[in-house]
Amino acid sequence: MLWSQNASPIRPQNLYLVVYISLMFGVLSSLPDLSDQSCTFKVTLRNFRVILSWELKNHSIVPDRYTLQYLVISIPDHMKTVEHCSNITASFCDLTDVWDVLSETYAVTVDGFRGNTTLVTCFIDFFLATHISLEPPEFDIVDFTDHINVNVNFPPVIPKILDGKVLQFYLPLIIEEQSGGIVKKYNPTLDENVTGNFTYVIDNLLPNTNYCISVYFKHRNLEEIHRSPVKCTLLPPAQDTGSSESAKIGGIITIFLIAAVFISTILILKRVGYICLRNDCPNVLNFHNMSSWVFPEMPPLEAVAFVEVIHTNRKKKVWNYNYDDESDSNDETAAPLTNTGGYTKHGLVGGLLGPTSASSATWEDCLEPYTEERDLSEPEADTEPLMALGPKPGGSECTSGAHEGRGKLLQDPFSEEDSSSTEESGDKIIFNVNLSSVFVSALDDDGSEGPPASPCFPEETYNLEDSHRLETSFLEAPGEGTQPSFPTPSAECPWPEDVLSDISDSSESGVDTGDGYIMR
Amino acid sequence: MSTKPDVIRKCLQSACLVGLLITGILSLDCNLLHFHLRKVTWQNLRLLSSTSSSFPVECLRETKAFELPQEILSHTQPAKRYIKEAFYEMSIQAFNIFSQYTFTSTWEKDYLKQIQIGLDQQLQYLEQCLEEEEKEKEDSKELEEDGMNWSGALVPQLSNLELRRYFNRIDNFLKEKKYSHCAWEIIRVEIRRCFYYFQKFAALLRKK
Repeated sequence: MLWSQNASPIRPQNLYLVVYISLMFGVLSSLPDLSDQSCTFKVTLRNFRVILSWELKNHSIVPDRYTLQYLVISIPDHMKTVEHCSNITASFCDLTDVWDVLSETYAVTVDGFRGNTTLVTCFIDFFLATHISLEPPEFDIVDFTDHINVNVNFPPVIPKILDGKVLQFYLPLIIEEQSGGIVKKYNPTLDENVTGNFTYVIDNLLPNTNYCISVYFKHRNLEEIHRSPVKCTLLPPAQDTGSSESAKIGGIITIFLIAAVFISTILILKRVGYICLRNDCPNVLNFHNMSSWVFPEMPPLEAVAFVEVIHTNRKKKVWNYNYDDESDSNDETAAPLTNTGGYTKHGLVGGLLGPTSASSATWEDCLEPYTEERDLSEPEADTEPLMALGPKPGGSECTSGAHEGRGKLLQDPFSEEDSSSTEESGDKIIFNVNLSSVFVSALDDDGSEGPPASPCFPEETYNLEDSHRLETSFLEAPGEGTQPSFPTPSAECPWPEDVLSDISDSSESGVDTGDGYIMR
Repeated sequence: MSTKPDVIRKCLQSACLVGLLITGILSLDCNLLHFHLRKVTWQNLRLLSSTSSSFPVECLRETKAFELPQEILSHTQPAKRYIKEAFYEMSIQAFNIFSQYTFTSTWEKDYLKQIQIGLDQQLQYLEQCLEEEEKEKEDSKELEEDGMNWSGALVPQLSNLELRRYFNRIDNFLKEKKYSHCAWEIIRVEIRRCFYYFQKFAALLRKK
């Protein structure tokens, strides 16, 4: 076709440039026609395997088996028969272990048979460096919050045809990342002896974003590209990690702020004087003596004593200054009782022990010598009230040890008011005297009141010097089941002089609780 | 006879000339020599593979081993100067061989001219860069290196000699076969194979 003379004049330079560019693209992109008159061949690198496939142009010819032969043009030799490609029914053959040089030109002959008849013979030559079709490798992706791991499956042994830095120079691996219309390409550096799974990390990605990954080999000098099927994934959101970390940090900061505010408030209030902090802790918060806290000590025994009142009827003896009077006996030491002011007075015959603590001033026993009353260990019909002193179960603050002494309880037989519980057992009245509710009065010196009998205990000797100790011994609360020890005086019952002076063995005097009333 | 292929050939020739000139003007930097060499070599290789017809079956009986030098085949890493000199030798020899083409083969004449243009441009590029290196070596300090390289330069000279012998074998083969069609087909395949190894050889210029 001739150029039209009426064609618009076009600058030859621009035309040449356009033609040049288009031709260069055409030359570089087009693959040579690998076909002869009978067959169409294709060489593919599939999963790092060199696969030669063919297809008959004339589909009416259908051989039932094929035989493949080849030779290397640069090496003069005869056609070589590939054993695993002889008499095969498939129209393809794996030549990975046969063709191992990418720079050679291989001449191939494929004979199609049906029975013993050769239906077709196909011949082709091709230069692998420019004729091979690169299929993408197999890969998988593992997505994370901000990055994706791309695992490309390489064979355990790289084919020999890819040796010599072919993968690095001629067949670079390209990983494409697509997101939001933006395509990024990554060219990972492959080692010369790369085998197994190759992992490439695409980082700096946005969480909660969809990304699509594809992989392919890009022949350095070929424009034709075979991309792998795209694998897309939606990255998880980054709230979990971020929220957990921010929550932890926020919690720590909040705790610190609260503690700082609390401490500063306390300090301010203390400085202002709104609160006064004591340096000494109350006893309740005193944990130093844990044993006593866990096992609290028994509170001091209250001034509660078990009193056994033994009534004895005694006649009031009148001093007749008759020394022969046998009635002058110690038995007649029961002091009369008076009833004053609504109180039931129980006079205790015996010396007063002296002022003691308020909680323990109830234990006075002025008893006549005990020796004369030994027989009182048994309850008798003697109505003379005697007081058997003993520790009340649960303790008495006036007893500190075993105490088996007895004394006399001055009891007003006419008293109807009895603040103490009493129980009668025969002629013996036994009542519990709550010493905390009993007022004990000290007898006067006029003798109207019978001097309190000295506490006489046949078992032990009572020492005047030990009065305080005795006193304290009464005051101490014995353990449960124990009886406070009490020094029993001898038969002569030594007694403090100041007390003994007021004591008359044979005298019984009523207890005047007037001015000499002793308050506990 | 159709005039369309003639027009296409003329346009193709002109476009290639313009393109190569533009490429040549833009690529005179010797630091980009390796890029140019690799690109031009690959273009020539593709041109040699773009023949419409496949290798004739009957020519398989006349093939010959021309024994490309082992230094090119082994992918060793010689000195940069040796690589440039090897390229220069190869370009000259190939250009001379293709100049003997009498257009009696089945090749397209335009493809062959394109190859020659590329080789010529490559030669000019190499000459310029080699002259620059010679000027740099005139320094007094490099005289000692020259002394060292002088002993080592014997190796590149020997290798260039091997290249010359290689291309002489090719030339002799053509002469023996009387520039037959099969001879040219066989030579085409062989030179294409040579270009492939030289393209890998050019990558070594980038590393050093």
